[in-house]
Amino acid sequence: MCEFSGKLIAWLDRELPAQDAAEVERHLEACSECQTSMEAYKRVSSEFDAYCEEAFAADAPREIPHWVPAASAAGAVAALIALFFAFPRTRVEPPALHPSRATEEAPSAVIAKAMRATASPIEIVHRRPLVAPAKIMNTNAEPSQSQDAYILPEEPVIQIAIPADEMFPPGAVPEGMHFAADLAIAADGSADGLRLRPRLAGFERRSTQP
Amino acid sequence: MSGDAANLALPLSRLSTGACEATNLYRELRKPLLRYLVCLGLSSDEAQDVVQDAFLILHRHLASGGSQENIRGWLFRVAHNQARNRQNRYDRNFSAASDAEIDVISHEQTPERAVLEKEKFQQLGKAIRLLTGSERECLLLRAAGLRYREIGEVLGMATSTVGDTVDRAVKKLAEKCNV
Repeated sequence: MCEFSGKLIAWLDRELPAQDAAEVERHLEACSECQTSMEAYKRVSSEFDAYCEEAFAADAPREIPHWVPAASAAGAVAALIALFFAFPRTRVEPPALHPSRATEEAPSAVIAKAMRATASPIEIVHRRPLVAPAKIMNTNAEPSQSQDAYILPEEPVIQIAIPADEMFPPGAVPEGMHFAADLAIAADGSADGLRLRPRLAGFERRSTQP
Repeated sequence: MSGDAANLALPLSRLSTGACEATNLYRELRKPLLRYLVCLGLSSDEAQDVVQDAFLILHRHLASGGSQENIRGWLFRVAHNQARNRQNRYDRNFSAASDAEIDVISHEQTPERAVLEKEKFQQLGKAIRLLTGSERECLLLRAAGLRYREIGEVLGMATSTVGDTVDRAVKKLAEKCNV
């Protein structure tokens, strides 16, 4: 065995002092045995590295690609829009605007008007009154108003009622329950937020009686 | 408790400097650390926990004005010691794992090439499992890019001993794999 064989791997790893490294380099030019060994050490080192990488990859959890959440969100919005247009309209409540904003036509009101004009099959479309919750609670308002006011959002919303049977198998949800999807509209008219809440149908019916 | 209070009492500038340094190191060293720990035999979840713990310790170390010399070796040593504490699942991959685990070879190659690669990996896996613990650890740390001096600090060995161990381990693998 060549006397330099003990320095080849250290030379490969750049761990030799400069003088020793220079000697190894000169030797390598002349010694075929060491050249062969050096190639073998390089190869086995890179294969060891690849083996570690594969072992790591085999054990690592599969990361969800970044596009999946975005696609899921887009799917949810698409499904909501489909629901928005799919259900037969049974009742439309006129929007109750805040006095200070009564003269302005908010984007959601524009959308609601457009939908009424085109007879879009929406079950419930209304804008919630933009009144502070405490104010409503103190005026012994109707149950529906109180309920609406209690969860009143800051921004105008469109509310869409979705029968529970459209979302869950029969029997999964108590009879008479449906869901209300609150769609917040941004200033530029785009959908800004979505919230789904369970509602009691009987409660709704009572609140809509004159 | 007193230690926490002491940390909270640190100057904000030092804390933010330490946090910035730790963040940069996290970006640079998270994957090499995870790979090292998984190859040592920890599960992916365990490795994630160990890395989180190691960087938390690093953050405290830097925030309290600890030495920044050879911080990479220091971090590997902390992670290595944390892994040692989880000895119950240690050496799983290299001493007990089947070669079926290493089955995710490059997707852009012919079937014949894939079979050859798999056989080569199986052979290498057997050879790796025949190495001693310190030989495997030296090679793993070497594959993570650590210098012999850093490897020695992680494993508590003299630099010359690391050199001898790496030399012996590489030659064993080359011999067993006929490369």
